[in-house]
Amino acid sequence: MGIKRRQYWGLIFVLPAVIFFALFSYLPMINSFIASFHSKDIISLKAPVFVGFKNYIHIFTSEDFINSIKATIIFAVGCFIPLVTISLLIATVIVSLRRIPWIQNLFKMIYYSPSIVSGVVSATIWLLIFDPRGLANQWLNFIAGNPTPVDFKWLALPAMARLATIIIYFWKYVGYFVIIYFAGLVSIPQSLYEVADIDGASGWKKFLSITIPLLKPTIEFVFIVAFIQCVRTFSIQYVFVQSGSPREPINVVSLNIYTTAMQYHSLGRSTAMSVSLFCFILIFTIVQLRIYRSERVSYV
Amino acid sequence: MRLLKVSTICWLMLACTLFVFAAGEQEKAAKPLQIVQWTHEDPNRTPLEEKWIAEFQSEYPNVRVVRETSPSGKIKEKVLTAFAAMKGPDIFNLEAEDEWQYIVSERVAPVDLEAVEYSSYEALRNEYLPVTFNGALYEGKVYGMPMEITNWCIYINNKYYREVGLDPAKDYPKTWEQMVTVAEKLTIREGEVIKRRGFDFRYPYYLAFFVPMANQLGGTVLTPDGKSAAVDSPAWIKLLRYMADWGPNGHNLGSPTYTNARKTFNRDDNSIAMCISGLYQYDRIKAENEAFLPEVSVVPYPRFEDAVNDNGAAVYGHYYMVNSSSSPEVQEWAWKLIKYFTSHEEEFLDQVGLIIPSKKLLQTDVYRNKKFADVFIEDMRKSNFIMTHESGPKIQDVIKEMVEGVMLSNIPPAEAARRGKQKIDDILGM
Amino acid sequence: MYIRGEKFKKHLRLIIPLVVLTVFALAILVPILFMLISSVKHPLDVFEFPFRWIPRRLHFYNYIQAIAGNDGNYYFIRLTFNSLFVAGSIMCLNVLVASAAGYGLTKFRFRGRQVIFVLILATMMIPFETIMIPLLMLTIRLRIQDSYMGLIFPVMLTAFAVFLMRQSILTVPDDYIDSARIDGAGELRIFFSIIFPTVKPTAVTLAILVFRESWDNLIWPLIVVQSQKYKTLPLYIISFLDEKYTNEAALMAVAVLATIPIFMLFFAFSRYFIGEGILTGAKG
Repeated sequence: MGIKRRQYWGLIFVLPAVIFFALFSYLPMINSFIASFHSKDIISLKAPVFVGFKNYIHIFTSEDFINSIKATIIFAVGCFIPLVTISLLIATVIVSLRRIPWIQNLFKMIYYSPSIVSGVVSATIWLLIFDPRGLANQWLNFIAGNPTPVDFKWLALPAMARLATIIIYFWKYVGYFVIIYFAGLVSIPQSLYEVADIDGASGWKKFLSITIPLLKPTIEFVFIVAFIQCVRTFSIQYVFVQSGSPREPINVVSLNIYTTAMQYHSLGRSTAMSVSLFCFILIFTIVQLRIYRSERVSYV
Repeated sequence: MRLLKVSTICWLMLACTLFVFAAGEQEKAAKPLQIVQWTHEDPNRTPLEEKWIAEFQSEYPNVRVVRETSPSGKIKEKVLTAFAAMKGPDIFNLEAEDEWQYIVSERVAPVDLEAVEYSSYEALRNEYLPVTFNGALYEGKVYGMPMEITNWCIYINNKYYREVGLDPAKDYPKTWEQMVTVAEKLTIREGEVIKRRGFDFRYPYYLAFFVPMANQLGGTVLTPDGKSAAVDSPAWIKLLRYMADWGPNGHNLGSPTYTNARKTFNRDDNSIAMCISGLYQYDRIKAENEAFLPEVSVVPYPRFEDAVNDNGAAVYGHYYMVNSSSSPEVQEWAWKLIKYFTSHEEEFLDQVGLIIPSKKLLQTDVYRNKKFADVFIEDMRKSNFIMTHESGPKIQDVIKEMVEGVMLSNIPPAEAARRGKQKIDDILGM
Repeated sequence: MYIRGEKFKKHLRLIIPLVVLTVFALAILVPILFMLISSVKHPLDVFEFPFRWIPRRLHFYNYIQAIAGNDGNYYFIRLTFNSLFVAGSIMCLNVLVASAAGYGLTKFRFRGRQVIFVLILATMMIPFETIMIPLLMLTIRLRIQDSYMGLIFPVMLTAFAVFLMRQSILTVPDDYIDSARIDGAGELRIFFSIIFPTVKPTAVTLAILVFRESWDNLIWPLIVVQSQKYKTLPLYIISFLDEKYTNEAALMAVAVLATIPIFMLFFAFSRYFIGEGILTGAKG
């Protein structure tokens, strides 16, 4: 059987996914792309008016969108770094408990449990925690040893609102990445560590010279996924704004896209923002993939 | 592998049951005229409307009504996406300020006078309090029938009044200036944190509670010609100063980030003494915490001492509306059904606590016996309808930013007003 | 003495990670405990400040109310079945299609492979809110709105899943596949009997992640389904947050009930999490 013919099997395996994405992702996206060059009220029956690049010019000259980009970058950086590092550390520690599998499962379950709780419910709980009378103030006052309680204004001050959204996001997704790292870590052959043990390598050295290189596909995956997730963040900011937080510091791009379409009804501007966001993440991801490829070591 | 098999079998069984379920529920008969109604979940109203639908269907067997509910926090989105995808329901209701955009975009049909049996729009409007249709009146036509028209007053927890030596029947705040002193007396603090608020506003519904306060001082959101913003007038600056004083950097009486005042009010748990709400709150307290009911009283919305207009909080509500893309026949029957619904004002008030302010209703015993209904109706007679504007939600966001800027971020009122005006002008200029 | 010291060191190496993990786990658990405790509190006590960790009065009636619903029609049970079916179907389809695509993208060298991969990856960057309306229009045109098919197919696959499976299949040595081919195994057989078992830990992880995501999906079911009979649990949960009819205690109870299937799934799958490496390591 020819090698060439066998490669067609590759296409067959990929085909269902390709059909799905063409139909349910690209078709609507093309629709949105066209809409971004038109001016249209989302519920109006009037035909969309072609306006060229006017929507793009408008959003990139408006203070509002520039602020959104700023808010997104602050959130993404503030979230991404702790997420990808701390979850790797936790996963490594859990893997090291391999002699007691039930404890491993217990901890994995605990760390993953925040993502199990319904999004709406966790938002409700966190708002109670960040209420001026809530646990966040109580505990922070206790730690700081303040004689009279101070209100840290978790939802009110711009910097605190940002911090609060980052805390919630971290809480929600740290377990998600712990179990992805875990799946990667357990597939590293144990024999490699045994060899290193015989050589008398320290734990830290083993981590750097065995774990990290062999975990590369997983790390690469987590970095890209975590980055995209952080940039696309929406629901926490949405709930915060609904509950009285100032909009400006947490008006991330996704939230802005949503409000522009669903509340302000301007479909053209909203889609122009999403096309821009799409391009931004795409470029960033391609750059990230390039970086990984250039320093890729063979891990098979 | 065993697990895989077991789970596959479970899944298949589940699939079969569900498909049997779904198939069993499919209607087989030839379809009569079908009217689809979307509305928000409302456990009290649902049995009533379902009863009326059944009555209506048995009277007119050619009509079948499909009533579908969505959570009230999400129905706005649901209706909007459906209309954007050209697949809206035949009858729906939303908050009036959101419905306005459907009227302006011609997505809803004007009331079919023949179907609702009125000779003219004036005749229809004459049956109700004058403010009733202000949110559905566009270019001389009426686009909806009222399901609920309401306004807000002040709810008081009498117990806390007595606790600090106030008489709830006499010492309640008549003006906003008195509100500050009364609330201060009722407030309990621990350090900067407020344990019990005397009163707090109903953030973030600024169009409903805040704009009317500006109206009292003679301020308006837009200039009379509607072409530019007027939120930098002295009236607005004075009001913003008032809010700054209210907030954590002033007298520290409340802030938008505390849990909603009206939610904790019902619990009578020493966390709030007064809140802003509508008549429906009374029925809610009854359901949630009946023991607390005797300690509740309701007083009119306060006015400013130097008010130039004697208006209370904004009047707002829900209208039943009919999709203009539905076939003419469906539209006609939809209006007949709506007429059937709305002619039951007494049951709406008595069993659901929703006010349909028809002149007929105000003559009935149901109205006279409904506790506090008169406080609301008297205030409603003097008040304006909530601002309806194509850019309403956007303008509300700007006002939110202005108020929260002065309350939380120490922005000077004049500066906040200037920025607000600029933003609203931008919105209007687009 | 020497032996004791060694033993002590060994214990220490076990205890330190345990302590670190436990402290961190407790912090993570605070909101979860908050939910569990609130779910048995009296509705009037949920909002009390400061928060009481031990309820003043127990109120298990919340759970009855959670199942009966706001208006006592017991839709909860039907909706749970719907959710199980929809999330289960999406989980199966997702893992199957994503693994197939991952296999095709890594172990075959056909033209356009890289382009397809980048294009699939790119869909991860589309915010769902932007394609929501066109997607709904498409679903209406395909005549699958307001049905299980409409709930399942348009959100059945994610680029995330393809990406995860691709990364995992990358680590399967080519020799395995080649030797199977030499033995005369067909491509489908190689996929099901070699690739799939090798990446099982990842596939199971993906299954759980996917199940959870569709279990919690609110926005798509909200807009695609109208009939009560096709609704899913998240729509039910938020009805307890209604502006006028809020009942936080019942809300917490529903939320607790809604997590149970995911916990069960997690424990049912847990032994598949332990990869081969660990097993051999434990023996040694």
